[in-house]
Amino acid sequence: MRRGTLYLMLAPNLILFLALTVYPIGWALRYMFYRYDGTYRETFIGLGNFNRLLTRDTIYWASLGHTFEYAGGKLLLILPLAFLVAMLLNLPFRGRTAMQAVVFGPTIMSSAVMGLMFYLLFNVYNGDVNRYLMKLHLIHAPINWLGPKLAMLTVVLVAVWEGMGNYMVYFLAGLQTIPKEVYESAAIDGAGYWRRLFAITIPMMGPVVRVVLMLAILASFQDIQSIMVMTGGGPLQKTQVVFLYIYQLFFPIDASTPVQPQIGYGAAASVLTGLILGGITLIYLYISKKLDDLY
Amino acid sequence: MKRWLAIPAFTIAGAALLVFTLYPVVYTLLGSLKTNLELQGGGSFLPSHWEFSNYATAFREVDFLRYSWNSVALSLLTMIFSLVASSLTGYVLARHRFAGKRLLMAAYLSVMFVALGPITLYPQFTLMHSVGLTGNLLGLALVLSAGQSSNIFLTIGFVKGVPKDIDESAYLDGAGYFRIYRSLILPLIRPILGVVALFSFRLAWNDYITSLVFSMPNPAIKPLTVAVVGLRYSANAAAEVNIMTAGAAIALLPMLVVYLFTNRQFISGLMEGAVKS
Repeated sequence: MRRGTLYLMLAPNLILFLALTVYPIGWALRYMFYRYDGTYRETFIGLGNFNRLLTRDTIYWASLGHTFEYAGGKLLLILPLAFLVAMLLNLPFRGRTAMQAVVFGPTIMSSAVMGLMFYLLFNVYNGDVNRYLMKLHLIHAPINWLGPKLAMLTVVLVAVWEGMGNYMVYFLAGLQTIPKEVYESAAIDGAGYWRRLFAITIPMMGPVVRVVLMLAILASFQDIQSIMVMTGGGPLQKTQVVFLYIYQLFFPIDASTPVQPQIGYGAAASVLTGLILGGITLIYLYISKKLDDLY
Repeated sequence: MKRWLAIPAFTIAGAALLVFTLYPVVYTLLGSLKTNLELQGGGSFLPSHWEFSNYATAFREVDFLRYSWNSVALSLLTMIFSLVASSLTGYVLARHRFAGKRLLMAAYLSVMFVALGPITLYPQFTLMHSVGLTGNLLGLALVLSAGQSSNIFLTIGFVKGVPKDIDESAYLDGAGYFRIYRSLILPLIRPILGVVALFSFRLAWNDYITSLVFSMPNPAIKPLTVAVVGLRYSANAAAEVNIMTAGAAIALLPMLVVYLFTNRQFISGLMEGAVKS
């Protein structure tokens, strides 16, 4: 009787989990063997979808490359910046908590809505970014921020704006776990600021950095909301990341031309992508564990 | 570091940080009060004339009153579902042993480390469609409440901090598990429930892609995010940048007001999770 209550209490979340996480995965594992456009009956085609993915679909592989480009660029910018800002906001000064709140602020805003605003700000002809750069005489002609050359950089910059506060808070939490006594005794021993930074702060932040890096990798593989709004994967598919490509296989409605959804193919691409990205995550976990043993 | 050098350096860095963070938001809020001509032509920083009619137009002619209501209802529903599901699960997983517990914990944990992206959207949609839960806010809120793993682990951590003898003595007095959860645990874990409420509210309020897909069969349930972005693709988008900006401000402002009062809970909730992991 009492045991039964426990299972009943677990039910609400478990039902949602089974229906909306487990079932979709099983669904994809079945439909990856089918050709299906959502309207006509599905036909079993064995490994046909994978054959197409592995041998003919250059867009898929290009979009996977863009995902790594995007993730790499974002991590290289956002993590050092978040670390520096966390160090800055860990100093004792007046208005520190207010400043923390401001820096964390962008993470509570819709990345789709802000993506739309950034689309206006980065507009070639009448966006504020170009206008101010011209006024300050830093550039002479408007820069095409969302053109084929720079669009990837621009979506990465926007991602840095949106996500930095999050990682800043993680680093700040890590910095605050370092006992003050360690710094005090080092200072007494005559260690200067830089010495303390490299001998105490950075080594002691090692475990935190590894967890944060994991979370940041996972997040950067997945965020497509602001890219979708700002560029839709364009121009010339330069910002087409892999999850955006998969989304468009399932829901091609946004496109200017009416295209049939490719459900079975999308399922196959989903599974392959899940395996590739999951594999990278595992490799990362393995390496970071090895590093753990080294220290 | 030399003090006379450090203070100006930090001040400049801090100022740059503030401008970088705040400018896009200020741009949106001030821009929502400019005319279309001023927005496109690049006038001054402040609006030359405070054009509140942008909001009136958005609310009246572009139906933003309805979308705002949708966003509020959607976020509150998601918040309630998340609170119920993750507090119940968090309590049971923190306090009890039962067959399959390890498997369940592992399953909940592992989805936090798998990048599923939008892969699950299509099957979620067809499944919900087959039970009549597309085209209404209830179904969308259920979908948004489904990814609760991080909230569950936050709750587990907090329940574990509550002394166990409290509920053990209640159990010996004959109180059932549900009773213990509702009258003993729930009041004691209120701080973490606040964090879960904020996180799930934010998730639903800001969601775009799931909401976009689930409102396809019935545009009347569009939340603000979908409605605002949709304006970009409307026929006369260029002539209505001011309305678009006002719409963006309408979508941002309620969350900003919530954040004004709750930023400490947001940050400490996140820190709690970070320290635990």
